[in-house]
Amino acid sequence: MTVTRRDALKLAAVAAATPLLPRGVAEAAETAAAAAGRFFSAPEMALLDELVELIIPADAHSGGARAAGVAAYIDGRLAQYDPAIPILKADRERWKAGLATVDALARETSGKTFRESSTAEQTALLERIAKPLTEAEIPTEEPEERRQPAAEKPETVGQRFFVELKSWTARGYYTSKVGIHDEMEYKGNRAILEFSGTDVATLPPVRPPQD
Amino acid sequence: MTLLRVPPPLPRVVDLQRTYDAIVVGSGAAGGMAAHVLTSHGLDVLLLEAGKQVDTTAELKSLEWPYDHPRRGDMPYTSHALRGAEYALRKPPYAPKDSPWKTVQSYVQGWSGSDYSKNILVDEKEHPYTGTNYAWVRARVLGGKTNIWGRLALRLSDYDFKGKSHDGWGEDWPISYADIEPYYDKVDLYLGISGHPEGLAHLPDSKFQRATRLNAAEVMLRQSMAKSGKVLTPYRAGVTTDGLKHNKFRSRCFGRGACNRRAGGCDIHAAFDSPTGLIYPALETGHLIVRTGSIAREITVDPATGKARGVAFVDAATGTTMEARARVVVVGASTLESARLLLNSKSAAHPNGIGNSSGHVGHNFCEHVMGPGVDGFVKDLVGKPRTLDDGRPGGFYVPRFRNLKDKQKDYLRGYGFEGSAGTGMFPNASRAPGFGAAYKKSVREYEGATIGMGGFGEVLSRYENAVSIDPEVKDRWGIPVLRFDFKFGENEKKMAADMANTAKEIFEEAGIEVVDHDRHILTEGWSIHELGTARMGNDPKTSVLTQHQQSHDVKNLFVVDGSSHVSASCQNPTWTIMALAWRSCDYLADELRKGNL
Repeated sequence: MTVTRRDALKLAAVAAATPLLPRGVAEAAETAAAAAGRFFSAPEMALLDELVELIIPADAHSGGARAAGVAAYIDGRLAQYDPAIPILKADRERWKAGLATVDALARETSGKTFRESSTAEQTALLERIAKPLTEAEIPTEEPEERRQPAAEKPETVGQRFFVELKSWTARGYYTSKVGIHDEMEYKGNRAILEFSGTDVATLPPVRPPQD
Repeated sequence: MTLLRVPPPLPRVVDLQRTYDAIVVGSGAAGGMAAHVLTSHGLDVLLLEAGKQVDTTAELKSLEWPYDHPRRGDMPYTSHALRGAEYALRKPPYAPKDSPWKTVQSYVQGWSGSDYSKNILVDEKEHPYTGTNYAWVRARVLGGKTNIWGRLALRLSDYDFKGKSHDGWGEDWPISYADIEPYYDKVDLYLGISGHPEGLAHLPDSKFQRATRLNAAEVMLRQSMAKSGKVLTPYRAGVTTDGLKHNKFRSRCFGRGACNRRAGGCDIHAAFDSPTGLIYPALETGHLIVRTGSIAREITVDPATGKARGVAFVDAATGTTMEARARVVVVGASTLESARLLLNSKSAAHPNGIGNSSGHVGHNFCEHVMGPGVDGFVKDLVGKPRTLDDGRPGGFYVPRFRNLKDKQKDYLRGYGFEGSAGTGMFPNASRAPGFGAAYKKSVREYEGATIGMGGFGEVLSRYENAVSIDPEVKDRWGIPVLRFDFKFGENEKKMAADMANTAKEIFEEAGIEVVDHDRHILTEGWSIHELGTARMGNDPKTSVLTQHQQSHDVKNLFVVDGSSHVSASCQNPTWTIMALAWRSCDYLADELRKGNL
């Protein structure tokens, strides 16, 4: 079966909205791209990869989240989540729903999925959901279920998803080889003969007024 | 000297028929020091540790890059680290037995690098406690919390030991600085400490090895603070920076980067930990027997004399209770576990728990209040070329400056700040707003310009702050657990408010742009500096122990950990715990030799 990019994108929308896929659709989605994740479907992975690269893009200084494999990190992490543990099951569902919401918001504004949208449209949408949440919209710290307040404008769902997406993107990126060595040029974690910095003995002593 | 990388094997079978000279309960800073000092006097010691021997050299893997770890250093996702909100909004026990999580651990496992410390911290499901909110961090392995401690190693002064004489609150310690100074020196020289002498009466200098250095932002802050007479000194770390010729288990610090990985730990053992610093060397005397998996349940009593006969413990492998006997029992199980053990040791001779005729065991519980702090940027450093800022055991320490010669209007005692500046292995990437190229650039350029510090303040010792034995709840081993009745009071709240305001002022005076200003107080227990539950004193009616940490009631019972402290001071307690334990065990050995115990 041949699936065009456009078909795959349609399937992505279905997959994102429907956790329990009809068998045929699921298979089609898997065929759609080679890059199905361990947790996310191929279309979801493609969307996630697009999103993380928009958050931390390649620039003249270093590679971005795509080069750092951030989508695979997030996917691998969620794949390891045990759905028998309610908080982890809810986390997984939130990620699926979050990706679906991004597409839903895109369609609502431009009639196209997120990946079909122009770069300007994509950026505009991310700017919308990157708006800080108001106090009332921030998920409560109620620990039992990490409960989300009863929702939910898609916009708010999107904003909440962005907070999590950005945080995991940053975590994945700045713990990667690209992030640590190329981007941040981290100089530590190697043996050194002398500490770096200024020897305090070379500075004037401090005279506390008390003593 | 060739370093030994493999921990020495412990005996598989321990003789419980014989009577040892001393049993030491617990193997952290206090128990480890007791084992070291007593064996150095030629005494035969049985050390009981509740947990296992963990090969921390292999466990901590501090050179491992996050991307070489399958979860970037996180513990398995079936485990849960308690979060701040859980401690604040719920009541203990925080991890019910039917919790869906496979294991639940304390908040320190919520930081990055938790996979490396997951076998060191306890599973909260097995070790419940009840009562008021308390973030209790426990490590049940050989060496206890010294395997992951924050390493700040400070002395107390007579501002602490004679606090009551200074401001009228609480009790003076039964010792003064002059009594303990030689023992601080011994601890410094035996274990190694890094720092820079500042000549302060309220934070005496140690016998320092090479100090760590300050980076540009820290130098700038030190010089700004000097104008108002406040000191910023390189982190005084319980770390050997020049090496220790007499210890083949520990390397000198060679400045690698994972010191900032929490919950900490040093797999080259440049940072002090009790196994490599104290216990393994003590094993080589031939006088020390270590029995792990031995959970002390009760100090047993000779009914004829009322003296301690030994320790009844649960054997972790079989679940059965056994007894070991000794001429002297030395308790160093941690401030709260030691109080629990004393209170659980009820007999006809000691109906309120052994050593508790005063009724003070479990009371006068004190610690450090923390939470308030600031983070900011040094504008001149934004976008500057990257420097190596974190290859060191810590950043800086700001000693107490309140209520020394001055007198604050609304609170007693003082606080210090711990902080650091510059680039760590990971940037604080959540602070920069937005996304995209501008966000990425902002994280990159601001990271080297960051500086932050947070306060640790003295919590006043008050009788009503206490732990007791819960009448119903038991731990995995069937041992009754602690019930907390502990709350910060007005003094702590007012001090914390000043801590927050002053931290901000200090940064603003230095021209640092403050981006985070935290004013809220973290849940009780957060500092992991619990103290005072079996305090020393000259009066047996109002104290539990003598100045040599000897029970007023039971001559052959000593409690050598932080429970003996009369006040919390605002300085981190580990170095004082060890200096006191050394002094008391010298006395113990002498008394035993004289036949006085």
